[in-house]
Amino acid sequence: MPLNVVVCLKQIPNPDLQFQVSADGKDIKRETLTYKVNGADEYALEEAVRLKEKHGGRVTALTAGPKRTEQMLREAMAKGADAAVRVAYDDPAALDPYQVARILAAAIGKRPFDLVLAGVQSDDYVYSATGGLLAGFLKVPHASVVTKVEVQDGGLKAWRELEGGDQEVVSLARPALLTVQFGINVPRYAPLPAIMKASRQPIEELRPADLGKASWEEFRGPYTLTVRRVAPPTAKGRAEMVPGKTADQAKSVAQLLRDKGFYRG
Amino acid sequence: MNILAVAEHREGKVVAATYELVAKGRDLVAASGGKLQVALLGKGVGGLAAEIASRGVEVLHVEDDALAAYTAGGYAQALTALRGTTDPRLVLLPHTTQGYDLAPRLAAEWEAPVVANCVDLALDGSSLVATRKILNDKLSVELEVRSEHPYVVTLRVGSVKPAAVGAAPGPVTPTPVSIDASKNGRVFHGIEKPQVQDIDISAADIVVSAGRGIGKKENLKLVEDLAKALGGVVGASRPLTDMEWLPRTRQVGQSGKTVRPKLYIACGVSGAMQHVAGMKDSGLILAVNTDPSAPIFEVAHVGVVANVLEFIPALLKELKGG
Repeated sequence: MPLNVVVCLKQIPNPDLQFQVSADGKDIKRETLTYKVNGADEYALEEAVRLKEKHGGRVTALTAGPKRTEQMLREAMAKGADAAVRVAYDDPAALDPYQVARILAAAIGKRPFDLVLAGVQSDDYVYSATGGLLAGFLKVPHASVVTKVEVQDGGLKAWRELEGGDQEVVSLARPALLTVQFGINVPRYAPLPAIMKASRQPIEELRPADLGKASWEEFRGPYTLTVRRVAPPTAKGRAEMVPGKTADQAKSVAQLLRDKGFYRG
Repeated sequence: MNILAVAEHREGKVVAATYELVAKGRDLVAASGGKLQVALLGKGVGGLAAEIASRGVEVLHVEDDALAAYTAGGYAQALTALRGTTDPRLVLLPHTTQGYDLAPRLAAEWEAPVVANCVDLALDGSSLVATRKILNDKLSVELEVRSEHPYVVTLRVGSVKPAAVGAAPGPVTPTPVSIDASKNGRVFHGIEKPQVQDIDISAADIVVSAGRGIGKKENLKLVEDLAKALGGVVGASRPLTDMEWLPRTRQVGQSGKTVRPKLYIACGVSGAMQHVAGMKDSGLILAVNTDPSAPIFEVAHVGVVANVLEFIPALLKELKGG
């Protein structure tokens, strides 16, 4: 039973960076950012490719984002995706998961699919909402925080991670959507010939008209969403920082550990 | 403005985050007027209804065979029925694996805005003002949402103090709804428990945890040396157990172990929400990280901005030479 899998990828600012607030106080400064593929999405892509390798079928990598996201889609093809689609929604902030999910749903709904995979969360905005919204718009069953998948006759069996390390076992009919948890697999590196090949593969581009609308605005939910402000968090209990060079810091911390009775050497 | 909080329970117990929703919901209705109710959905959960009501809040108790186990589809059907009778402006869920499984699905079905993983909420007229943390908790965003439909919101666990048992319990209102189990979308088969064949890090007085900042698996040796010198055990943040550098049993955080040792040392751990949830109540938290903006320093008591691979050897030298 070959599977037609769509995997949703998001390119995010590298969360290890330090961020500054933009002049109007409503966004981050974006000029100097570097971008990477969202962590959980890498696991979703790998899982999609493994399912294809095991059951046959096709993997389509899908994103909604500006031109720079083509790099991420090429990497996805080098790692085993058969095709790539970029929805040319180029709002760099893309703050509203409802609007993004509606756009993705319109793009996915254009062709038949058996399974949609997405990362459990994006590490920039950490809503964990896009997958569930997307499943709701596509009117397919979903399961989130998935750590293992088995394909069954007409359906899927999925293991959902709960708090404290427990796993919930569920089954769903296909087509379905799963959000994939970190650690479900070990993502592969792309081999060099595949990277070369992917650099020449076409990327399908979708604009609002391709999805039956005049503008991206028309995909908004029936509400208004505005950013009042972006700011460094108000520190509730900021750590007391140990000053000095590493050697001085080590001396201070050793003293502290002795004073508190944690080291009796 | 009426608020409907969705209780979470698992294996016959109320999940503590439910009481955080009660506390937050109560603050919001105190400021804006309206009524707070808790929806308890399940099968054979009468005892839990009384327990939640003891926090001084009304419980809408929905019993149905189709709700015997949580499914997003079953819960969405029940909440859609309750929406018709209680007219909530705000539906509150905890930002747990169940809460964020359900909230976006419900929002899509209701064409309602979803604001997930909030650390604070306020109501401003008919608008919702939500505070969220983004980009590894390095920044905070205040969003204003205005909608005719209910706001579907998940609240980050640990953001507010849970409601205590009230002087007078609230009423338990049996609320029958009709649910079509064939529309639940998925079938629940059971819960699998982790296999434990390792030390229990939650029993240790001293935990020294390694994070991505240690760079390479070989460098775990340093963290082990420090733990040994202090008579503690080695823990880890999620990326390390995902990479299988350490077994899952060593993972500290929401999806792993919750620890409250007397001393917690975070070595190269950035302090993602899911990790912090598992160690924030430790007695003394010492964090070592190269990034001064790492959120671990928000929760640590003592912070060291340094390369952990240089700091640990220096510390061991000080300890052993002193």
